[in-house]
Amino acid sequence: MEDNFSSYHPVISFFFFLFVICVSMFLMHPVFLAISFFSAFSYNLILYGIKKTLKNNLLFILPMMIIIALANPMFNHYGVTVITYLPTGNPVTLETIIYGIAMATMFCEVLLWFACYNEVMTSDKFIYLFGKIMPSISLMISMTLRFVPMLRNHMRVIANGQKCIGRDTSNGKTTDKIKNGVKKVSILTTWALENAIDRADSMRSRGYGLKGRTAFSIYRFDKRDRAILIVMILLAITFFVGNSTGNCYVSYDPIVKVKGIPLDLYSCITFLSYLTFCMLPVIVDLYDKYKWKALRNNINKKENRGYRLWT
Amino acid sequence: MSEKRNVDEFLDLWFDDKKIEQYKMPIPENPMVSKLSKLFRVLKTDAQDEIFVSIEDYYSRQETSKKLTKRTIVTLIILLLMSPLTIAFGILFMGDRKYTFIGIMLMFYAIIPFFMGFESRKPQTRELIVIAVLSAIAVLGRTAFIMVPMFKPILAIIIISGVTFGPEAGFLVGAVSMFISNFFFGQGPWTPWQMFSAGIIGFVAGVLFRKGLLKRTRVSLCLFGFLAAIFIYGGIMNPAALIMYTSHITIEGIIGIYISGIPVDLAHATSVVIFLWLISKGMIEKLERIKKKYGLLV
Repeated sequence: MEDNFSSYHPVISFFFFLFVICVSMFLMHPVFLAISFFSAFSYNLILYGIKKTLKNNLLFILPMMIIIALANPMFNHYGVTVITYLPTGNPVTLETIIYGIAMATMFCEVLLWFACYNEVMTSDKFIYLFGKIMPSISLMISMTLRFVPMLRNHMRVIANGQKCIGRDTSNGKTTDKIKNGVKKVSILTTWALENAIDRADSMRSRGYGLKGRTAFSIYRFDKRDRAILIVMILLAITFFVGNSTGNCYVSYDPIVKVKGIPLDLYSCITFLSYLTFCMLPVIVDLYDKYKWKALRNNINKKENRGYRLWT
Repeated sequence: MSEKRNVDEFLDLWFDDKKIEQYKMPIPENPMVSKLSKLFRVLKTDAQDEIFVSIEDYYSRQETSKKLTKRTIVTLIILLLMSPLTIAFGILFMGDRKYTFIGIMLMFYAIIPFFMGFESRKPQTRELIVIAVLSAIAVLGRTAFIMVPMFKPILAIIIISGVTFGPEAGFLVGAVSMFISNFFFGQGPWTPWQMFSAGIIGFVAGVLFRKGLLKRTRVSLCLFGFLAAIFIYGGIMNPAALIMYTSHITIEGIIGIYISGIPVDLAHATSVVIFLWLISKGMIEKLERIKKKYGLLV
């Protein structure tokens, strides 16, 4: 589903995901974990819809979370609050259990953010961003992305052709199957390489790599992007300053020590700035939907007065 | 044949800066030349068409190319300055997440010099596309066997390309194919680790082949593939998993994760051996033929 935040300039999306993924990967404060998890999940809901988000998470992320949360108290034995003892004689402590849960939440939210990243930062945006720093590598990446479906289609053509002359891979003896499969791969390789050389020559004769040539892009850094970039930078600075004062310190070893709860002014500001930052895509998208609805309502009102734009 | 070569040389002369060094001629001390070059400068359009480059421009460009390029400097800064700084920063400020942070950053620093070196070399278009095709075949191999866990031909293709096209191409095929296939499998904190470990296998294959330690025989390649899959790929990815999921790294933990990874690594290595056994001979022959036919200088 196309959301409003994806339509911003690639620099904005990249900066957002870089910040959010890095911060959520390295901060283990429970409030930060909760904020990050909540915003990642709600952005997933906007991008994928309720059904797909739940399906993805219940199938893959939830079991992963349980395994990580259980693995930590099994293999680590630090902490002072002993709850029980394992059959091997090692203690199970409250601290390791809590840390395991925090770890599992952290891992899960990083995966959720990456799910959003895959949807928003499409490969063309990535190549647009890195095309200036590493032109050859990003061209190579974009070509590889093109070649994968092309080669897959051609593999089907080859398979059909081979089937017609009796070299099918779907039945027969196993050795024959393997032999035919290898033959198909070899045909594909030859075709792909010859095709690649042709393509290279064609690119060169059209002037690829000459000085002063530009790359096509449809992205424009406009007012809206500038505004959101300023907001993002301000929030990030507030967050870092607030974080560096030590209000959001947390330690799980040897005892669980959480600062910033109950809320005081500084920690409150830090938490709020982080929450706003993480929720920016959701806020932007909801505001956009609200505005669209309001405008349509306006039109409906006008329609009653005699205008008819659509039925 | 000779005519085709002439055309090739002519094209190289016009399009590749590198090649022009071979055709170095003495600068004629002729007033006509400077006049002509001035005339060409006037003719230069805003688009800076390369055809109207004056001789002086050519020589000045050659001088600059001998200096350290920006990319080399960036690489040096990363290697000498950034990595110790990152480690110090991680240990001082990251607390219990320091291993994850340092690990991922060092993986990036390890990949960047290869990419930057490739960029500053100004690779030929043909080279670029051949590497892209090999990566695409590797990605296709990884997606084709998506149903069978750990049974992937991707390392086999990376080793073959390292052996035929040299260490640099081997690294690029490995890193790019891992990066691209994660667009289909899902990106995550494991991407830099996979990119580096697959890339370094291609690199090592290329280096060992150049040194004569690795032969283009099936047995030799299969042996290398088996060892590389277990010791390089498994050797990097197992502790990477530990670093990603936990934060208290102990020697027992590392030993434990290596032991628990043995079956997976063995399955992976077996698949690499099977694919190398089946496709290596044909693939290497084809790649060599392409190299010879089109004169790829790798």
